[in-house]
Amino acid sequence: MAAANTYVAIASQTLASASASINFTSISGAYTDLVLICSMTGATAATEVFLRFNGDTATNYSCTYLEGTGSAAGSYRNSSQTGADLNYNAGVVTANPNVVKSNIMNYSNTTTYKTVLTRIDAPTLATGATVSLWRSTAAITSVNVYAVQNWAIGSTFSLYGILAA
Amino acid sequence: MANIKRANTSGITKSGAAISDVPDAPTIGAVSDPGTDGYASVAFTAATTGGAVTTYTATSTPGTLTGTSATSPISVTGLTLSTAYTFKVKGTNSTATGPESSASSSFTPTGHGAYDSIATVTLGSAASTITFSSIPSTYTHLQFRVMARDTATTGPQYSLKWQFNSDTGSNYTAYHDVNGGGSTTGSNGYGANTIAYLINTVTGSDASNTTQYGVSILDILDYASTNKYKTVRGLGGFDRNGSGQIRLGSSMWMNSGTAISSVIFSADGTQYATGTTIALYGIKGA
Repeated sequence: MAAANTYVAIASQTLASASASINFTSISGAYTDLVLICSMTGATAATEVFLRFNGDTATNYSCTYLEGTGSAAGSYRNSSQTGADLNYNAGVVTANPNVVKSNIMNYSNTTTYKTVLTRIDAPTLATGATVSLWRSTAAITSVNVYAVQNWAIGSTFSLYGILAA
Repeated sequence: MANIKRANTSGITKSGAAISDVPDAPTIGAVSDPGTDGYASVAFTAATTGGAVTTYTATSTPGTLTGTSATSPISVTGLTLSTAYTFKVKGTNSTATGPESSASSSFTPTGHGAYDSIATVTLGSAASTITFSSIPSTYTHLQFRVMARDTATTGPQYSLKWQFNSDTGSNYTAYHDVNGGGSTTGSNGYGANTIAYLINTVTGSDASNTTQYGVSILDILDYASTNKYKTVRGLGGFDRNGSGQIRLGSSMWMNSGTAISSVIFSADGTQYATGTTIALYGIKGA
């Protein structure tokens, strides 16, 4: 039996002032997957996008990247990081919006590590896909999206829940 | 009260025109979801006594939102999703507005998205295949969201493999993909095969990997078409803090005349491990 309306907007934030960090907290465990969609520009300089879960700042994150820069394709890896850096070359630049769509799969289960599938598009720099791992079996209840440099006013961050029947 | 109203009934005229009875209260019926965000459909039964009614009005609590109709049901708009409402109905004619009905049962409107969950399989024990059958053709696209591990321990990764409608003929372009292994990139392609797959997106069950599964998202576009081949695009991979794969892939089922009504996922190594989860969603068109 199909269940209707299983892709639900949970929360959304639009920056009213430049910032390098936003948080989604008290995330319900009622869904199966989370989808995070971010549209950002850099406030003053190019920057990147990191994810952290449940406030974990230990070296529990790793990523594998596939990116094309317009002249070359490449694959890269970051291991044992303090946050999941979603973009290797496809950073967030000033003036042009850059878009990240991350699928946080089976985020509330308590038996497996959490894997994130991301498509990132920075049209003036690169396009690519990233798979990220958070080595924790804890259910994800908060997501911190952060950067080294500020994002500009108007950058948007939206969190959705997908509920399986 | 009824006797008092009937003292003003037909036969009494005002400036030569007949004066109707005041309407009696209708009987409230069920409140239902008409399928549009923010709407409620309020049913009622007209009173068999009292004056003839020209317009019925349904009024919500809270909000005092109203809708009108000459017949049942009445559509009320502007409801806030996830808010509980009750409704009362009253009739109006040229003489007066009658008393309200009793309140309806509580009604809470929900959203009507374009993305429905059709079915989910989570393995409680290892299995060689996972099958989705009797897939309705009422959607425009399908999406599978997969978290999968193979019980095989001899390799670090395995492929996600599937067939449509039990077709085992050489009717699949198995894959074309672009992939990254962390330091190298590649692209693979393969022609007609008896099965389709997104390679290296299912993890194995070696000793160092008991808590981590590969993940994939498959979009099956225009799956119910009966006049063109069916294309699948995939995004999948895994990361194991020092190794991993990320893949963008596509494949095609070379069948133009049949809507996809079933999908069988077959294990590439030994079996899909306990905890493997595959969820099927339908995406509606306008």
